[in-house]
Amino acid sequence: MNCEKIREQIPECLGGRLDKAARERLVEHLETCASCRTEVAELNAVWRAMESVKAADADPAMKLRFMEVLEAYKAGAGQATEMPKTSPRTGWFVPLHPVWQFAMAASLLIGGVLLGRYESKPQPATPSTEVSQLKGEIESLRQLVALSMLQQQSPSARLRGVSYSEAMAQPDQQVEQALLYAVNHDSNVNVRLSAVDALQKFAGNPDVIHAMAQAIPVQDSPLVQIALIDMLVQLNAKNEMPALGKLSLDGQTDDVVRQRAAWAVQRLSGQKKEASR
Amino acid sequence: MMREVRAGDVGKLEVLFDRHSQALFRYFLYLTSNRGVSEDLAQEVFFRILKYRHTYQPESGFRAWMYQVGRNVYMDHIGRNKGEVALPEDAKEIRSAETPPDREFQRKQEAVLLRRALAAMPDEKREVLIMSRFQDLKYEEIAAILKCEVGTVKVRVYRALRELADRFFALSGERAS
Repeated sequence: MNCEKIREQIPECLGGRLDKAARERLVEHLETCASCRTEVAELNAVWRAMESVKAADADPAMKLRFMEVLEAYKAGAGQATEMPKTSPRTGWFVPLHPVWQFAMAASLLIGGVLLGRYESKPQPATPSTEVSQLKGEIESLRQLVALSMLQQQSPSARLRGVSYSEAMAQPDQQVEQALLYAVNHDSNVNVRLSAVDALQKFAGNPDVIHAMAQAIPVQDSPLVQIALIDMLVQLNAKNEMPALGKLSLDGQTDDVVRQRAAWAVQRLSGQKKEASR
Repeated sequence: MMREVRAGDVGKLEVLFDRHSQALFRYFLYLTSNRGVSEDLAQEVFFRILKYRHTYQPESGFRAWMYQVGRNVYMDHIGRNKGEVALPEDAKEIRSAETPPDREFQRKQEAVLLRRALAAMPDEKREVLIMSRFQDLKYEEIAAILKCEVGTVKVRVYRALRELADRFFALSGERAS
């Protein structure tokens, strides 16, 4: 056997995967070939040294995150099959708020489309030519999971839902509405704060900016109110200056929030002047 | 197990996650040198397995199919992050040659240089070496993942190891004797 063929077997030999006959042939060759002996010595040194770069394990939290997604997915798929059996407002899982109903309907629609597609036409494996299609479908799955997680009972699951919405390249209107609903109605302050941040993606929609301004007076948490005000400044929401001005003079509002609103008006009017120069 | 998932029992995916997610995480960690990114990519693989469970063909085995999905996920990641150079996370551990040598230090330095050598290799060579050396995949499985002949895998693993050795010895300034 020539040197080239022998050398190709070295990694298998080092990994203990070469069968006995092949190993004996290799040893026999090495007895008479000095250059292949050097080759084995060098590759053996590197092969052994690779033991020292073995990677560490992942954080156990990775499993928790995966389980949240899986549970949310299962819940979403379950809703898709249970929904037709129950009349509106009688099932425990049917939200009372119209926005939630809209969000749920959208998630069911997405889930239904996906399930229907799979049932009717098994898809081929994912060749590179279908990468863009695959990305689009993964995006739909993310939307489904995000919407489903935003409806979970646990605040941490809802926070993950907000995170999933942020991970989407192009969040859609249903997600936008679900986030706005979270800002206005979620019982957990952290979820509301995260939802405010996540809404930054929708800065191009004036309705969302206006809805954020409208949300400030009804918030019971000064932290969320300040986050909303800061977001309006960040988005350069000059059209909301009257609402902010009103807030800064409202005696019922927390002092710190009123001061922040006054500061926001100042900042936005300053930006307005700069823009007009 | 994957047959059951494919048939609709998606809860069984938890068992597959328990069995394979750590290996998958390490596969991405060798490729990216970034723990956070590797965890995200490993999750993404199971996301896609969930989504594309109906396309699973048991002939080549679950592991081979999972790594095929993993390769697609990694390629998408590369596409999204063009221009970003992955550096080993422990690059800061590299110290000057004047530091007094001892066995532990030598071992650590060797590990750092090997990581650097691995990180500098072309993706296609690095990945075949990772599959063979670290992921404990058989040549038949690697051939199924890469969609090539077993003989081709044999040649690729050898050439990749040879290149790694060249890069490693160039960095460490020595050769095995």
